[in-house]
Amino acid sequence: MAKGVLGNDPFQRGAASRDGAKAKPGTQAKQDRSPSERGTSDDKKKTPSTRAAHASGGNGTSDKGQAKKPTRGKPAPAKSKGAPSARGAASAKASAPVKQGKAKHGQGAHAGKAPARPQEAQGQSAAKGGASTSTAKASAPDKTEAELLRVPTAAKEQSGTKRGANASATKASAPVSAEVEPLREPAAPVTPREPPPSRTPPVADPRTERTPEQREVDHALAEALAAEVAEVTAKHAVDVAMDRRDGADEPVDRLLATELATELAEAAVEEVLDHSPSTRRPERERELAATVAEQVAESAAELAVVEVMNRRDSAPHARDALEERAANNSLDEDDTQERSNLDAPHEDLAGAVLELSDLDETPDEPDDAWERSALPLSTTRSASEPEAKMPDATRDEVPPSRRGPLSLVPTSGEDHAARDASSDPDAPRPLAQRATGMLSLAREIAGQALASEGLGRAWGAMNGMLDAVRAGLGTGGGSHLDEYGKDPSLVQRLEPVLEFLYGQYWRVAAQGTDHIPRGAVILVANHSGALPYDGLVMSLTLARERPDLRESRWLVEDQIFHAPVLGTLFNRLGAVRACPENALRLLDEQRPLVVFPEGYQGLGKPFAERYRLKRFGRGGFVKLALRTGAPIVPVAIVGAEETSPLLGRIPAGFLGLPYLPLTPLGPLPAKWSIRFGEPIAMDGLPPEAAEDLGEVGRLTERTREAIQGMIHTLLRERRSVFAG
Amino acid sequence: MDVSRPGKGRLRVAVTGASGEYGKLLLPRLERDPDVESILVLDVARPEGAKVEFHQVDLTRHDAESELTDALAERPVDALYHLAFLFGPIRNGSLAHELEVIGTMNVLTAAGRAKLPRLVVPSMTAVYGARGNNPALLREDSPLQGCPLSRFVTDKVEVEGQVRAFRERHPDMRVLVLRFAPVLGPTFESPVSRLLTRTSVVPTLLGFDPLWQGLHEEDAGRALHLALRAEASGEFNIVGRGVLPLSGLIRQAGARPLPLPGPLFRGALHTLDVVGADTLPVALLDYIHYSWVADGELAESALGFIPFHHVRDAAAALKRS
Repeated sequence: MAKGVLGNDPFQRGAASRDGAKAKPGTQAKQDRSPSERGTSDDKKKTPSTRAAHASGGNGTSDKGQAKKPTRGKPAPAKSKGAPSARGAASAKASAPVKQGKAKHGQGAHAGKAPARPQEAQGQSAAKGGASTSTAKASAPDKTEAELLRVPTAAKEQSGTKRGANASATKASAPVSAEVEPLREPAAPVTPREPPPSRTPPVADPRTERTPEQREVDHALAEALAAEVAEVTAKHAVDVAMDRRDGADEPVDRLLATELATELAEAAVEEVLDHSPSTRRPERERELAATVAEQVAESAAELAVVEVMNRRDSAPHARDALEERAANNSLDEDDTQERSNLDAPHEDLAGAVLELSDLDETPDEPDDAWERSALPLSTTRSASEPEAKMPDATRDEVPPSRRGPLSLVPTSGEDHAARDASSDPDAPRPLAQRATGMLSLAREIAGQALASEGLGRAWGAMNGMLDAVRAGLGTGGGSHLDEYGKDPSLVQRLEPVLEFLYGQYWRVAAQGTDHIPRGAVILVANHSGALPYDGLVMSLTLARERPDLRESRWLVEDQIFHAPVLGTLFNRLGAVRACPENALRLLDEQRPLVVFPEGYQGLGKPFAERYRLKRFGRGGFVKLALRTGAPIVPVAIVGAEETSPLLGRIPAGFLGLPYLPLTPLGPLPAKWSIRFGEPIAMDGLPPEAAEDLGEVGRLTERTREAIQGMIHTLLRERRSVFAG
Repeated sequence: MDVSRPGKGRLRVAVTGASGEYGKLLLPRLERDPDVESILVLDVARPEGAKVEFHQVDLTRHDAESELTDALAERPVDALYHLAFLFGPIRNGSLAHELEVIGTMNVLTAAGRAKLPRLVVPSMTAVYGARGNNPALLREDSPLQGCPLSRFVTDKVEVEGQVRAFRERHPDMRVLVLRFAPVLGPTFESPVSRLLTRTSVVPTLLGFDPLWQGLHEEDAGRALHLALRAEASGEFNIVGRGVLPLSGLIRQAGARPLPLPGPLFRGALHTLDVVGADTLPVALLDYIHYSWVADGELAESALGFIPFHHVRDAAAALKRS
């Protein structure tokens, strides 16, 4: 979202000189919406068309554009779909003789017919100049009854002429909505809620400065009104959007989406109100707030629905997270995860806000401007002060303080360029506004730099290492361990380090991972190296190559499990003490289980005996496989021996250890190759066979040979220890 | 006992050690339980309560058994909770032994004579002992390796042995042994809660961070109450949700772990113990070295006991007290 606005602005400014807007009205609506393009009025109408599209698309009134689906995600098709009708309605009004006052019924009929001849209407409107505000009103009635009632509210505040125009527009399209949604009639009683002050025409209102207290009250009132509008709009828009989406929709999803949209709208309103000039009349402010709320909520609804549905579809378990973040607008997710398909909604919102920032400048116009034309367009005004809305554009609907996660997104050079352009102080602009703009820009850039990829990763890696050391020493704490002692949050914090080790330092190459069947499976591998990195690497390999499997665990022998620091750290990373009870429980949980039957001997063999398999214990893993029916997958690991070669042993009885390995302090960058062999199924062997020592021995030997064979192959294929 | 509500009160419950820590957890629940008609308290001191019928018995006396038998025969009870155990610092080892082992022997004999339908005895998961060869989760059938250094745990293991033998002799009785994880809470007094709250720094072993469990005192009281009606017999691990590394537990309880190198720590501790300073019990060394995590699955399926509180909350409750 934030990026949408920030990144958008320069494009819009640039687009003023482009004329490709007409070529693709649906997809380039965001550019069209830029207020700075005041010469091309027909562009303006695409803004309301967006909104109308939501409604009409939902109602099924105009499904012309249904077939052509731009690749921009949900809202985009709606846009293109609704464009003709909205444009028609708009142009109907555009062509309406301005001075006719109340006699607008005939025009209303025109508006009703307009969709039939959009081209003509468009031409007329082009001649008249854009009609951003009034077109918005004209298309609004398509949406909901509630809005329909609110729109006049806002409209009445402007001028008698304008009111007449709006009323006619409303009536013009009212039959459509009445036809389509007869059930919405009962919403009529909302009418009395119109704020009384709006009844006085603002023309007659004396321009008075409000005291800060008064303004505070005004703001509060406006916000309350806006909140209501936003909620109603969001609710309906979400309903519409949800109905349009086939498939199961749950009340929870609706609620979530509504909540999301309303939040967005309210944030936008707050932002707009915060920056409205103090000279603005309260009723204007209220109107503005209501309009902002309505439009943002409307546009945001689509986005919210997409968001909610995506979240639900892609990761059902992430729902909780979403719910938590719903209050925080989940803008961060928007930016990080779903940028590609949500860009369109962002731009919608950006456009809506931009347009509204237009709107809120209008009262600064001389009042006779309203009488001159029923199309209170920003054209003339924006010509006179083209940069006035820039601060709004550089800002987001969300206050910068709530935008923290944005800076985690690695920024691209284009973004910077875009932002630089947006802050280009070429045009005359009030100093304070310029300063604000620059400040927010500077903060943005600083945030991006701080969170830039390299620095962030280094920082994260350092923190992770520190945590790991603390966990090893036994002071780490940690409060979300599982019952085996793995600390998922520590693993997550160490991820940069593990990723570096796996991808760049050891360059682990895994072959035959497809051989691993789902469910309970025993992965039998050779143990090697003085320090047991192999279990960790195996679990990393499984997590990366076969994310469809359940999280794997590896068994380590007591000597390592109970070694100070190392054992504790490995336990936190996922190692489990090797014993039949643990193994049975892990297999019960349908996890892949990594075992190293050589055990401690495998680690203790000198470097000269590397890659020569030791005795495979007493065949515990075979008994386990026979009892549980889990297949055995032989695995050969090459590279671990050179990573931490055992150069000697230091007696360390005083530490409770048989010896301290003499090995390079850090792991060496040997290249790792891991090959997974064909699974050895336990079919046809009853669990009682676990008592048959002959059978157990035979299977043990078979596994051992398979592993030894794969090791030899890998060693033959290997040309260099370090280069691979 | 309210005679005006016939049919309401049906169960008569006898409790030894009602003034102890477990008694304080259980008695209010029994008072609130409408099905409990009366509570026969067999103790040295009379606790508060509307349903309490007090019968003074000193379990460490040699004639305790006959007194118990008389009290139980006078008015038959539906269940007997044997909660008379020590929780404070044990200065008098022989008294503790008398109470735990001889007291339990007396209770068991009397219960056998009175043909009680139900006997509930609390124990603790520490009886499994913290050993390097423990599986990740200790089931109820794991051997009770205890802790040779700790008289407290050794006595408990002996009590469990007595109760198991008793259950085998009386297969018609429901004998439930509830093995509680360390009970933590604002009011519960135990060696573990003392360890965690007495000082702001708790020594741990450098390089080790075993997994601990904890049980909130509310959950403990609930488990005791559930045992009154459970259609089950045998030993049950009563543990809180989740596990914490010792350092995490200490932090949650508001203290800071101080990792000390093992040999140094051991030596210092033994010295202090010989001198008689009231410091960390040597017995805890095992428990801060190796994990001892019990599996609460059986209690869930057989007793219907599902802990409400995570260990985190239990430890944090300790901090608030």
